[in-house]
Amino acid sequence: MNINSPKRKMRIRILVSFITFTALLALLGVRLVFLQIVDGDTLSREALQQQTRDSEVASNRGVIYDRNLKKLAQSAAVETVTANPNEIQKAKKDINEISLRLSDVLGVEKETISEQLSKKVNHVVLKRKVDSDTAAKVRELNLTGIYLQEDAKRVYPFGKFASHVIGFTGFDNQGLGGIEMVYDNQLKGVPGRVISLKNALDSDMPFKEEKHIDPENGTNVVLTIDETIQHFVEKHLENAYYNEKVQKGAAGIVMDVKTGGILAMATMPDYDLNAPFELIDETEANRIKQIANQEEKISEQNKALQKMWRNKAVVDTYEPGSCFKIITACMALEEGLVNMNTPFFCSGAKVVGPTKIRCANVNGHGAQTFVEAVKNSCNPAFIEIGQKVGHDLFYKYYKAFGFTETTGFDLPGEASGIFHAMENFNEVELATSAFGQSFQITPLQLISAVSSVANGGKLMKPYLVQELIDDDGNIIKSTEPTVVRQVISKQTSDTMCSLLENVVANGTGQNAYIKGYRLAGKTGTSEKRPRGNGKYIASFIGFAPANDPKVCCLILLDEPSNGEYYGGRIAAPVVGKIMEDIMRYLNVEQQFTEEEKESMDSFVPDVKGLNVQNAAKRLAAESLKYKVIGSGDTVKDQMPKVGANLTANSVVILYMDDGAAQEVTVPNVYGMPLSDVQATLGAHTLNMSIVSAGATGSTSARTIAIVQDPAPGTVVPAGTVVRVEFRFLDVD
Amino acid sequence: MAVKSVAVKSAAKRADTKKSPPKKARLKKKTCDLGFLTTVIILLVLGLMMVFSASYPSAYYTFGSGYYFIKRQLIWAIFGVIAMVITSNISFRKYKQIAPTLFIISLLLLVVVLIPGIGKNIKGARRWLGFGPLTIQPSEIAKITLILFYAYLLEKDGANIKKFKVLAKYALIAAIPMGFMLLQPHFSVCIITAIPLVIMLLVAGARVRYFALAAAPVAAIGTFIAIAEPYRLARLTTFLNPFADRLGAGWQIIQSLYAIGSGGIFGLGFGNSRQKFMYVSEPQNDFIFAIICEELGFIGAIAILAVFAVLFWRGMKIAVSSPDTFSSLAVTGIISLVACQVILNIAVVTSSIPTTGIPLPFFSAGGSSLIFLLAAMGIVLNISKYETQKI
Repeated sequence: MNINSPKRKMRIRILVSFITFTALLALLGVRLVFLQIVDGDTLSREALQQQTRDSEVASNRGVIYDRNLKKLAQSAAVETVTANPNEIQKAKKDINEISLRLSDVLGVEKETISEQLSKKVNHVVLKRKVDSDTAAKVRELNLTGIYLQEDAKRVYPFGKFASHVIGFTGFDNQGLGGIEMVYDNQLKGVPGRVISLKNALDSDMPFKEEKHIDPENGTNVVLTIDETIQHFVEKHLENAYYNEKVQKGAAGIVMDVKTGGILAMATMPDYDLNAPFELIDETEANRIKQIANQEEKISEQNKALQKMWRNKAVVDTYEPGSCFKIITACMALEEGLVNMNTPFFCSGAKVVGPTKIRCANVNGHGAQTFVEAVKNSCNPAFIEIGQKVGHDLFYKYYKAFGFTETTGFDLPGEASGIFHAMENFNEVELATSAFGQSFQITPLQLISAVSSVANGGKLMKPYLVQELIDDDGNIIKSTEPTVVRQVISKQTSDTMCSLLENVVANGTGQNAYIKGYRLAGKTGTSEKRPRGNGKYIASFIGFAPANDPKVCCLILLDEPSNGEYYGGRIAAPVVGKIMEDIMRYLNVEQQFTEEEKESMDSFVPDVKGLNVQNAAKRLAAESLKYKVIGSGDTVKDQMPKVGANLTANSVVILYMDDGAAQEVTVPNVYGMPLSDVQATLGAHTLNMSIVSAGATGSTSARTIAIVQDPAPGTVVPAGTVVRVEFRFLDVD
Repeated sequence: MAVKSVAVKSAAKRADTKKSPPKKARLKKKTCDLGFLTTVIILLVLGLMMVFSASYPSAYYTFGSGYYFIKRQLIWAIFGVIAMVITSNISFRKYKQIAPTLFIISLLLLVVVLIPGIGKNIKGARRWLGFGPLTIQPSEIAKITLILFYAYLLEKDGANIKKFKVLAKYALIAAIPMGFMLLQPHFSVCIITAIPLVIMLLVAGARVRYFALAAAPVAAIGTFIAIAEPYRLARLTTFLNPFADRLGAGWQIIQSLYAIGSGGIFGLGFGNSRQKFMYVSEPQNDFIFAIICEELGFIGAIAILAVFAVLFWRGMKIAVSSPDTFSSLAVTGIISLVACQVILNIAVVTSSIPTTGIPLPFFSAGGSSLIFLLAAMGIVLNISKYETQKI
C-alpha cells in the first residue's frame, strides 16, 4: 500500500479524530474528579441541605412540684395539626373539600382553613394542641399534605392555685410568667430533631430515611411552696378579698423564718393558669369587649392582662404603715436607746417642726411605757423613738434590713422600694418614717425583715426554689438558706418577740389572736396618697409561736371598701386564721396560759343510755351544764352530739323520751359583746362556740360579734352550737 | 442477533494476507465486529437501567406510575433493535445507492414538519411528526441521511475536495437541511449535525486552513452576538458560575452539580439518587448523566465514559478498515455524531459549557432518537462485516 495514498491520509485523520474524542472524554473525566472527589463533600452537603427536612421534637417540659412533691404544673402529650399548602396545591387537591372535612374534625371555621391552605408556603399551623382523639380522626382522614406534630401542653392540675408564683407558658410552651419564665431554660430541656429526606415538591420521599435525635427532658423544679399552706392562705385571703370588697388587690406571703423559704405566696385576684389569657374580672372583660377600635381594644386587653398577672407581693410597693414600727422598735432596742420601761406621753398628736402629726387614737394614749407604746401602736411615741434613733442610724438599719435593694428573689419584676434621698431626709420625714409612712417597700422586703426580727436577727434571702431534680428524683441543684447579714442581736430579737406577742394578746392585734399558738404580730393601716381620699391599705404581719418562731405571715388588703379599713380589724383576723391552720398542720404543740386553760373548750361526752345522775357527773367533769327534757329513766338522745366543742358552762340538752327534738329559732347576736351573746344564746337554749381565731379572751364591750352561724332566724334543734366570730374594735 | 456468526477464520486470514485490495465485484463477507456489537448492547442495557432509575420519581409524581417512561423506552428499544437488525443486514452498497434518495426524503420531512397542523408544536418548537402513537423527529433522520449523502458525494469527488469551490458546494448542501432545522427552531441539533460533517470533510482530505479561515469570522460574529445582548451573555456565562443565580438560570445546572457531587467516589448506589426526586428537572432526559454520577459515583461514571471510548475505538477501527471511501466516511460520520453528542452532553451536565439541549446517546429517554441511533449502529455493523484492513 502506497504510503502517500489518500487512503492512508484518511486513516490518519480518522485516528486523529478518535484521539480527539478520547482526549475530550478524558478531560470530562478530569472534570468529574473535581466535581465528585475534590468538591464532592461541599456539593453533597449543600444538596443534603435542600433535600432534608429538619423538624423539632418537643422535649418534655419539667414538672413544677411543691415542697412535698405534689405536681403543680406538668406537661401532657398533645398534637398540633399542620399543613404543607405547596404540597397540596402541587398535588392539585381540592382545598375546598379538605377544608370542609378538617373543619368538621377540628372545629375551626372552614374559611379559616381554606385561607391557610391557599397560601404559597410550606408550613402552616391549622390547630395547636389537639387531644389524641381529634388527632386520631385527622389521621383517619388520610389527607395529602396534612401533618400531625407531637406537641406538649402545659397542664396546671389546680387551675388558679398559686397562679402568680407558678406562672404560665405560651403557645410554644415557653415560660411567660412566674417560675415558668424564670426557670424556663431549666424546665424546657433540649428539643430533639427528626431529619428526614424530602423531594423538591417538599413532600416525603417514598423511602423513609430518618435520623432521630432524642429530646432531653427538662429539669423538674421543686418549690419551697407547701401546697397545703398555700391553700390556707388562698382560702382566707380570698374570703377577705370578697368580704371587704377590696378594690386594688390583696396579697399574702408565708415565710419560713429560719430559712427564708417561701411557704406560700398569693395575690388576689388570681387567674386560671390553664386559661391565662382570659380576664377573670368579668366587668373589665365586658368593657374591653365593647371597645370598637381594634387597636385600643388590644392595648386595653393587654393592660388588663398585665394587671391580672402582676404578683402584688413582689412587684408592687406600698407604705407599710404601723407594721414598720417593728423595725423602728428594733433600732432603738438594739442601740440601747429605750428599755421596757422608757416612758412616753401621747396627747393624741405631736408637733414636729411645722407639722402636727396625729395619733390613731385622737384622745391620746396618755402616759405609757415603751411596752405599752408598742402595744398601742402609738404614733407620737414612735416619733420620739425615731428621734432618739436619729437620721443616720435610722437609715443604717433601714438599709441593713434590706429595704434599699431587691432581695434577689426567684420571681420576675421584683421592685426595690423608694426611700427619701438623704438630703431630703429631714425632721418630718424621720418622724413619719418612724411609723412607716412616707416611703415605700415591697411586701416581700417587709416579711424578710420581720422574719429576721423573729429568727434571732438574721436577715435571710427569700427564695422560692428548693431544688432542681431530674426525672429519677436525683438532686441536680439545691438551694441552701442564705444569711444576708445579722441585723440585730438575738437578745433584741427575743425582746421583740415578746413585745409583739403582747400586741396580739392584749393590744391592737387582738383580732389575730389564736388560742394556744402564741402569735406575735403588728397591725398596719396606711392611708394611700393622695391623703384624704379615704383609701387605705390594711395589713397585718405576724409570726408564731412567739417563743420559737417558725413561720411569718403577711397579709395586705389594698383599698378595702366595705366600711372597715383598719389592718387590725380586717387583716389581723386573716393572719390569725391562716396561722391557726398552719400551726395545726405543722403539728406545733399548743401552749396555753392559765387563763386560757380555764376558758378551754369542752368536748361533749357520750351520755346516751345513762341515767340523769350519771350523765350529770360526766358532763360536770367537762365543766358542762345540762337541761333535761322528757321524763324517761335514761338519756335517749343528747344535743349537741358527742365530740362537739363547747365553751365551758355550756348547756347540753338531754332527751329522756323518744320523739321529736325541741326546736328553737336562732336569735340575732350581731354587734353584741361576748357576755351578751352568751346570755342571748343561753336564753334560747342554744350553745356558743367562739371561732377560735380572734379576740376570744376579751370581755371588753369593744369586742363584738361580727359573724354568726347559723344565721339569725334559722330553726334548729335546742342545744345546737352557734359559731360566733368576734372582733376587737380598738385597733389601728 | 441476525448477524451471522459463521466466522470463517481461515478466510479472514487469507483476506489479510492478500496484497491487492479486494475486488470490487465480490467482497468477502465476514461476521460483524463483535466488540462493537457488545459495546452497543452494553450501552443499551445500561441506558435502559438508568432510564428506569432516573425516571421513576418524575414518572410517579407526574403520571402516577413509576413505570411510565421505562415502558415507553423499552418499546423504543425493541423497535430500535429491530431497526438495527434490519440495517445491519442491508449491504452498505445499497446505502450508497439510495443515499441521495434518502437525503431528498429527509429534506421533504424537514419541510413537512414545519407546516402547522402536521408538525407537532411542543413548547414553541415544531420538531415532531406524529404517526399515531409514534412521534419522530425528522432532524434525527436528516442527521444520518446527511452523513450518508456526504459520504456518497465525497467518494465521488475524491481528491477534488481539496478545492475551495468543491468545499463550498458541501457547505451549501449542508446549509439547506440545517436551515430548516433552525426554522423549527432546533439550534442544538444543528451543532451536532454540523460537527460530524466537518470531521468527514477533513477526513476526506479538505484543507484544514479553509476551516481555520471560516472559523475566524464565525467566531467574531458569534462573539458579537453574545456580547451585544447582556442577557444572552449572562445566560452563556451561567455555566462559569451557576451559583450566582441559584433560583433562576443557575437552578438546573446547580441541581445537576449537586447530583454529581453527591455521588462521590462510589455513588449512592443504583436507584438511590435523591436528586432525581424533582430536583434535577426531567432527570431521565438531558441530565441523566448527573443521576448516573450520583448513583454510580465517580467509578461508575468513568466506567461509562470508558465504554463510550471503546465504542469510538471499535467504530474508528471499522472506519479505517472499511472496504471503500463511502463506507469509511459513513462510519466516521456516524461515530463522530455519537461522540460529539456524548461529549457535548456530559460537558453541559458537568457545567463545562453553556447549557444546550443535547441528549446522551443510549441513555437519555426520548423516543425516536434511540431508533435512529440503533439503526445507524446497524449500518456500522454491516460495514464491519466487510473489513479489509487491520491497523
